[in-house]
Amino acid sequence: MKMLPALPRFAAVALALGLLVRPVAAAPAGLTVGTPALKSIGPLAFGPDGILFAADTKSAAIFAIATGDATSANSTQPFKIEAVNEKVAALLGTAPDQILITDLAVNPASRLAYLAVSRGRGPDAVPVLVRAKADGKLEVVSLDKVAFAKAQLPDPPADRTAGEGKRASNPRLESITDIAYLDGRVVVAGLSNEEFSSTLRAVPFPFQSVNGGTTVEIYHGAHGKFETRAPVRTFVARKVGNESQLLAAYTCTPLVEFALNEITPGAKVKGRTIAELGAGNRPIDMIVYQKDGKEFLLLANSARGVMKIGTDASAKTSSIESHINGTKHDGLTVETIADWKGIEQLERLDATSALVVRKTAAGALNLESMALP
Amino acid sequence: MSPFVRAVALVLLGADFFSPVATRAAADASTRTTAPAGVSESAVTLRWAPSAPENSTARVVEITGLPAAALHALRIADWSDERWAELLAVRVTQAPTPTPTPAPTSTPATAETATSSQGSPADALPAMLGRYRVEGAAVCFEPRYALTAGLRYVATFHAAKLPAPFAAPRATPLMAACEVPLAPAGPPTRVSAIYPSADALPENLLKFYLHFSAPMSGGHIYDRIRLLDDAGRPVELPFLELDEELWDPAMTRLTLLLDPGRIKRGVRPLEEIGSPFVVGRRYTLVLDRAWRDATGQPLAADAEKNFLVTPADRTPPDPARWKINAPAAGTLAPLVVALGKPLDHALALRLIRVTDPAGRATPGEPSLAAHESEWRFTPAVRWTPGLYRLLIATTIEDLAGNNIGKPFDVELTERPDAPATATSVAISFSVR
Repeated sequence: MKMLPALPRFAAVALALGLLVRPVAAAPAGLTVGTPALKSIGPLAFGPDGILFAADTKSAAIFAIATGDATSANSTQPFKIEAVNEKVAALLGTAPDQILITDLAVNPASRLAYLAVSRGRGPDAVPVLVRAKADGKLEVVSLDKVAFAKAQLPDPPADRTAGEGKRASNPRLESITDIAYLDGRVVVAGLSNEEFSSTLRAVPFPFQSVNGGTTVEIYHGAHGKFETRAPVRTFVARKVGNESQLLAAYTCTPLVEFALNEITPGAKVKGRTIAELGAGNRPIDMIVYQKDGKEFLLLANSARGVMKIGTDASAKTSSIESHINGTKHDGLTVETIADWKGIEQLERLDATSALVVRKTAAGALNLESMALP
Repeated sequence: MSPFVRAVALVLLGADFFSPVATRAAADASTRTTAPAGVSESAVTLRWAPSAPENSTARVVEITGLPAAALHALRIADWSDERWAELLAVRVTQAPTPTPTPAPTSTPATAETATSSQGSPADALPAMLGRYRVEGAAVCFEPRYALTAGLRYVATFHAAKLPAPFAAPRATPLMAACEVPLAPAGPPTRVSAIYPSADALPENLLKFYLHFSAPMSGGHIYDRIRLLDDAGRPVELPFLELDEELWDPAMTRLTLLLDPGRIKRGVRPLEEIGSPFVVGRRYTLVLDRAWRDATGQPLAADAEKNFLVTPADRTPPDPARWKINAPAAGTLAPLVVALGKPLDHALALRLIRVTDPAGRATPGEPSLAAHESEWRFTPAVRWTPGLYRLLIATTIEDLAGNNIGKPFDVELTERPDAPATATSVAISFSVR
């Protein structure tokens, strides 16, 4: 769901596609026209030229879909779609409690919002991609005859004993917990429902092959230990000088940065822990933005508001490897913005606003823009 | 007088919902009973009709009785979905009914019931998506998605929104409702197993597996799971609450991770609020029966697992210490391996295999006993004399997430660099 604000636009392969015109004739490089058969829809991220990356955990695949939405935005109209879950439910002809909004992405070119929606909550749930405009209009993005490509992630470890007889079905599934696009690569974080192992893959785009890239182990120094295998919860890609970096929030709360180009076959990547986020703090989503010439990270948490972290100091911050000394957020300035409550999805809308799905006190989900703090 | 009939039809699809013939008859019957007495039956009719004989759950809305010229105007109209929805819209008008609908009855909706959906809140919601078309003498709307069991759908036809000159500005909207009953309730879904099954679990327990007797519904699962201490007080935030819930593909098994930040040594959550457990105390994992299965039915009952917390386990599993009870040649007797301590239920079943003296995989069925501390393997073919091997993937875990040769959290001083571990280890046993 995250994309670097200053990403190159790859204008040379710009699609000659209007919003309502199906990209039947001219598929962008690496894509072919057809109907992507998504079995589920989870994390989303925009790439160049209106190409949306959608993670499908059930298929263990990443789909690149040409949305045809490459019109440039000239609006700064705020979003305020109240009870968006009820409106999406009405559009899809079901009850609001049968709708799950699994992710939110904004096409930075068009400033249109995309919601990954599950219609239904059981094993037969139907994945739906919904587009929202600032004026409140909602529409289902048709996936019939679109230009798309699919990167199949590597098979899970061989089903060594369960492949025969009545145990032939494999209950193992690797959830895709987050994806991001940066510098021609789709970065994919995974978490298995069996092994407590973390995978992080960098899949080149256009998808060259279906090997799904590389799995690496991430080591981050923290508190006198090397911790291994901790799953990445959410991450954001950013540029620091000429280096492409990932800033990752882990399930056990450190904030870690490492270079994207270190994610190579067989690599053992050592990340730098630049902050400890503390107890009761479950990172949900994060974005990077610039304000007053400085870079900030905005991190949404499950219950506590959002954290605004000045990241310019991160290059100077030494990796946290000594034991906790009682000082919070070692090295970086962290401000908790308490009035951003109930944030369930967080995305950067434009240079000055974030777009959020937030739960109101009444329990409805609103899709609304908020000025970046 | 308006040429358009004021009619309210309720098509109640009952237990015979999956029988195309019966359903068609029911739909036709209810349609014929719709027009209130004293109103001409010769004019426009709105009804829900089966759309495809091969799919008894599919329904289309049909408007019949429009003048041919109006049909022609609609056929050539190049309307957006929004414009079509002004003429004919389908909306969901009520929440799922909590219990399955009893035997089918065709009950005409009262005008009050149907028109209650016309208040402003419902109007603010978009109409259901679908395909509009003129087919023969009928205007049809085919919903894009299957109708959801337990919901009531009301189609509303506004003759005032017909293209000029056919628009009838004073015509009363025509409505027809369709209810899709829940499937007849089978036996309620229950929690069939919770692993680890032992009564005593280490303080640094990493996960539970919750097994259900039928597919469940996902989303917001953490509202349905509580961990209580021995005084019945909930433990605060014990679980790793993931947006991407860790279900198996069939949604009959959920993996529930304890927050690793509260298990790992030296990380801030453990320093600040500690482990969710206190050694020597008892805890209860409670699964709320209000958790719905995939058909929307609650569980048969609350499920509970009560357990004692024992000291943290930081010792990796060590196959060299496993005790193998080799079976006799020529038999189908199970191979029995004592693992020394309970291992992760799913991984112990998946990551251990047997190879025969020729190095081929031995087909058979693994199972676990003695609270996952005993691995048993029943071969599909008789054991032959010779040296068999047990191959164990090093990624197998114990209850605290320790792997073979690799504890869950690694001291910097113990292991300054990444261990270059093998992907599997082998232990041999002789069959005689």
